[in-house]
Amino acid sequence: MKQALSTLVIHDIKNSLALLEADLEQLNHHPNMPEEARKAYQRCSELKGRLVSFLTLYKHEQFGLKPNLAEVDLNEFLQDTLDVSPSASGKHGHEFALEVDESRIRIAPGLKHGGTAQLDEYLTGMAIESALNNAVRYAAGNVRVWFEQDAETVTFFVQDDGPGLHHPSGNAPSTGVGLALCKVVVEAHGGGDVSLSDAQDGGALFRLALQTA
Amino acid sequence: MQEKPSAGTMADIIGGTKPTVQSEFIQFDKFTALVIDDMGAMRHALSSQLEWMGITSVKGVSNAEEALRQLEIRQFDLILCDYNLNRASSGQHFLEFLRNENMLSAKTIFVMVTAEAEYAYVANAAEFAPDDYILKPCPEKKLRARLERLFDRRNFLMPALTAMDAKDYARVVSECDKLLALDSIDRWQMAALRLKAEAQHALNDVENMLATYQQALAKNDNVPWVKIGFARAQRMSGDLEAAEQSAREIIASHPSYVAAYELLADIRLELGDEEGAHEMATRAAEILPTAKRFRTTAESAFLLGKLDEAKQFSESAIKLSNGSITEKPDDFLALAQIQTDLGDPLGAIHTLEKSARKYAEKDEFGISKNAILAQAYFDSGDEDKAKKLLERSQRLITPDNNTSAAMNRLGKAALKLGDEILGLKLMTQAVQASGKERHRIARHVSKSMHDTGRHDKVHDVIDAGQRRILVLVDEAHKLMRDARFEDAFSKVNEALAIHDENIEALLAAAQLHLLWLKKDGMDEEIDARAKQYLATLDKLVPQNEKVMAFYRFYNQLSGA
Repeated sequence: MKQALSTLVIHDIKNSLALLEADLEQLNHHPNMPEEARKAYQRCSELKGRLVSFLTLYKHEQFGLKPNLAEVDLNEFLQDTLDVSPSASGKHGHEFALEVDESRIRIAPGLKHGGTAQLDEYLTGMAIESALNNAVRYAAGNVRVWFEQDAETVTFFVQDDGPGLHHPSGNAPSTGVGLALCKVVVEAHGGGDVSLSDAQDGGALFRLALQTA
Repeated sequence: MQEKPSAGTMADIIGGTKPTVQSEFIQFDKFTALVIDDMGAMRHALSSQLEWMGITSVKGVSNAEEALRQLEIRQFDLILCDYNLNRASSGQHFLEFLRNENMLSAKTIFVMVTAEAEYAYVANAAEFAPDDYILKPCPEKKLRARLERLFDRRNFLMPALTAMDAKDYARVVSECDKLLALDSIDRWQMAALRLKAEAQHALNDVENMLATYQQALAKNDNVPWVKIGFARAQRMSGDLEAAEQSAREIIASHPSYVAAYELLADIRLELGDEEGAHEMATRAAEILPTAKRFRTTAESAFLLGKLDEAKQFSESAIKLSNGSITEKPDDFLALAQIQTDLGDPLGAIHTLEKSARKYAEKDEFGISKNAILAQAYFDSGDEDKAKKLLERSQRLITPDNNTSAAMNRLGKAALKLGDEILGLKLMTQAVQASGKERHRIARHVSKSMHDTGRHDKVHDVIDAGQRRILVLVDEAHKLMRDARFEDAFSKVNEALAIHDENIEALLAAAQLHLLWLKKDGMDEEIDARAKQYLATLDKLVPQNEKVMAFYRFYNQLSGA
């Protein structure tokens, strides 16, 4: 298939998915809607998210990504990301906690605008969502998210309480698209680092460092 | 959730870290919303989301024209506007238009809805940023969280926003000062500083405006609106060099920030560098093309005699605005004049008789249209028709529509057709009616006279305006002596209409109002005007003996 045509088709699919998602959201607001409707909405959101991630990777390869930097309140941003995450709806109905761990937030003293940073909210949100998706899959009961900030870098952390990386049933080092996407997001921010490791206190620890200066 | 160590400040209570608690304070059911999206399904989805939040009054429209009709009837608390508006105008163009035309209440929250990050470039280039961007489709939870935050900020700023809508700028400043004394989050403080500076701008209070922007710069020196505001204040204070330096710094850090190029263009023009001004305006139009920007570049190219370039820009302005809210009949006049000057009278005739057919031939447009047609038919060899058109153009003049632009075009036609007396009279009228536009009109008049071989008379025509001011000021003084204040006022107004910063006219106006106050007592309206004249004089001729004496006199009168 010609490239132009496949681009057209994929965008058409994305737009149709977006409309389907909107329809399913509508359905979820009906009284007495069955559990299946909620699941369908969640699945659709996840699918659309994956497609958008893929398109972002594709766009990066073709044209390079231009970040849309804006001042972001980091705590609000994480809270928002968790609030709207399709991963937050949990897996197979079992209860678990997904929250911003404010006790772990560290801001280097003397920063002029501690707690806020120039970031592309959209791209960064996508990277964190892909990490959440992975963490939720392996978590036993909770997933914690926080950030650290110094003069040059903002680092986001996602930690689960699952078996960790070096356990046979533990996290695969992210899905191909997820990790590649995070790398692209780092690159778009002009530098930084992404990693997945075993946390000292158990579980897997995802780390996304973005250069902000 | 664990306690945040710094919990308890106002920022934490209302600053947006606990959206579920906040929402109890935001009563969505009181709000009205306008949703602008050309796709029915999306419009429906957004409207439903707003309704789920409790907003009962949601109006959905599919394009900017319909939105405009709604905004002419009433204001909305919230506007959700799709970035890709089908027609020539994008959501960004629409927002710029609304802000330029002052059609948005200060209280209205404008949110741009976009399909993906494609808007990034434009978003970074534009001075008129919406209150927020939302990527669609946006789940209800996220939209609600965003809106709660925006309405929270609006609530915080409410007293100042109310004063802003009432155009009570002094109260905006005092309300902002109250807000700034509170302990709130940084971004709200910045928003309050921005409002305060805007109000000081409107009050022409340059010194305090500079101070406000400096305060904002101390908080955050990397926000384009702060930097451009500071640069503008520097320009208003007369420090063109510093203003230019600031504008260039903005361009260095934000190379696509259009407003910085536009400010530079104004500064270059003020320094007499027409070429440099044109170059900067062209850059602005390249970065964020709008009909308005193309109009500006078409005019500056035209005045510089770069007619081919002028024609291209002029055609772009027409193309971009065609069928949209920014369409202007003037664009066809500008193009036709350029075509005539380029030696393409048939093209000009086509532009006016075919393309601009839809506009009624009356008033300013009618005068100009017939005047340019007269020039074009004259050039094409049909002198009889040209004469008839010139006469028809003159017949359309009334005391209300003899604008400078129309008089200049008609004057040019008269000069071209050899009626020197009529031509010079019209040119003089154009200069005399130019008021705040006097520099621009003087350039047009001067060009028209050069084009028709009357360059030797340019100075006479421009000076005639000044002489007329002196005659009017003299008459005003006589009327003042007879205590005929109303009549004297109309004379000084006439003089100020020729040149609103003429010192003699302003001195006469100030003196007249002081006498008026002395005779009739402290009338509020007269008092306000007196202060305005004194402030303008103080700015134009600081430390002037006469002005200081006026101030002392005024203080005695007002008992200060």
